[in-house]
Amino acid sequence: MPDTSTIIEFILIIVKAGAIAMVLFGLPLPLTWLERKIAGHIQVRLGPYRVGPHGLLQPFADMIKLLMKEDIIPYKADKLLFVIAPLLAMVPAFAVFAAIPFGEKVTIPGLDYELTLYLSDMNVGILYILAMSGLGIYGIILGGWASNSKYSLLGGLRSSAQMISYEIAVSFAVIGVVMLANSLSLLDIVRAQGGNILHWNILYLPVGPVWFFIFIIGSTAEINRIPFDLPEDEGTLAAGFHTEYSGMKFAFFMLAEYIAMVTVSVLAVILFFGGWNAPFYIPLPIPPIFWFVAKVAFFIYLFMWVRFTLPRYRYDQLMNIGWKILLPLSLVNVLVTGLMRLYL
Amino acid sequence: MAEDKGSILELIKKVLFTDFVKGLTVTLGYNVSRSITHKYPDEEKWVPYRRFRGVHTLNRTEDGRELCVACELCSKACPTQCITVIPMEDDTGRGIADRVAKVWKVDLVRCLYCGYCEDACPTRAVRLSREYELACTDLSCTVRQREELLKPVQVPESFEGGVVAKSEFLRSKRGIKVKVDLSSTRKRSL
Repeated sequence: MPDTSTIIEFILIIVKAGAIAMVLFGLPLPLTWLERKIAGHIQVRLGPYRVGPHGLLQPFADMIKLLMKEDIIPYKADKLLFVIAPLLAMVPAFAVFAAIPFGEKVTIPGLDYELTLYLSDMNVGILYILAMSGLGIYGIILGGWASNSKYSLLGGLRSSAQMISYEIAVSFAVIGVVMLANSLSLLDIVRAQGGNILHWNILYLPVGPVWFFIFIIGSTAEINRIPFDLPEDEGTLAAGFHTEYSGMKFAFFMLAEYIAMVTVSVLAVILFFGGWNAPFYIPLPIPPIFWFVAKVAFFIYLFMWVRFTLPRYRYDQLMNIGWKILLPLSLVNVLVTGLMRLYL
Repeated sequence: MAEDKGSILELIKKVLFTDFVKGLTVTLGYNVSRSITHKYPDEEKWVPYRRFRGVHTLNRTEDGRELCVACELCSKACPTQCITVIPMEDDTGRGIADRVAKVWKVDLVRCLYCGYCEDACPTRAVRLSREYELACTDLSCTVRQREELLKPVQVPESFEGGVVAKSEFLRSKRGIKVKVDLSSTRKRSL
């Protein structure tokens, strides 16, 4: 018979996992609204406006529509793969959050119990995250393959090529951060950036900003967002890998995509922007989670902002950026970072 | 290598993402700027300038007599022959002369809204109003009769126009209608 504290610990983990899953399932709803609103306002339109005040209920209307839609499986598609591909895309996107910390311990007022704002403090957290987000690509490739359509297949292949090229650069950027923090644990990475804004990795001159840009460019390519959204290039590939998908299966792909965007924003904040640390000392009791959410929100806005600013890269340009610029740059940067760590 | 100063400058610009930042600044400016979308029809409606040529309207004098003298000049001037005028004699004071229109109808699907009829009209009886909501579900509304055209229009000719006015969307058995409130208007944001 385990003692009470173990049982409480166990229940807490389940509750926390459930809470994170609920938040992640719910998050795409405001994000789709936000994306369409930002798209509208950048194009001097209003965006969704009719369903609810300022179109706030539009995501629910969309959700109902997607649920009601006929779930089409093409006649010549590989049925099994076609059905599991959306899940393969979505599950890793959720699994990533098992290792992501949202803050240090907080004491619940009244109960006097210390609650950790993370599911698990893995000592190889960042490796786990890279591995898991890399798995998500299988959903896209298999979805493209199983649809038995030329557009889907090309989209899937493009995304695999893109993943291979950019995963390397992103991994190198993470190596840079690991060199700065001397740890693979995300908690230690954030703790190493404690204090004020000058301790953040982005301001570890001169290599910090370079790592950051490598990371953000590579991640944008990995989560298939403009300017690197070649797998779903609607100009040439209809809708890319999800051309044949409809209804909830399509919604799963979209869910995975939005969660991937949140993951990348969270990672950018943890790795380069000091996580939940305040940028400077403020003599007010602002909870650290506020800084965390604010920074993540900024990055999510940045991704949407960039999406409606830049055109899409051509395929050869994409490859050139990945192999000829980001990879050599990150190699040089590893060297410079190593020398700085040794002699400074 | 022959690298002149210009290309080094270009390289520095590329490294610092200057073009990228420029693009982002432009889109941010648009993001915070006012949208040009009119919340038509249930909140606001565009009231056109005076020069706008919409559906015909037949005017009256101030004491309520019809200005039309059924001279048929409008139907003669019409390039598409969409105006039909049948005159008749009337001395009850319905019109300003003894000759009034028995039938004055215009086929709106043939009309090309050139405004020749209002130019031809000697008494300024026929004018093109600023009404532009002409959609309907059958052919019944495509021909406008004299009785309908004689009713005062929503936007009087004296109104300057070129503004976005508050509006109300009315739904009834007979169809839909957008009522404008000319007292509260705003300039179009551009």
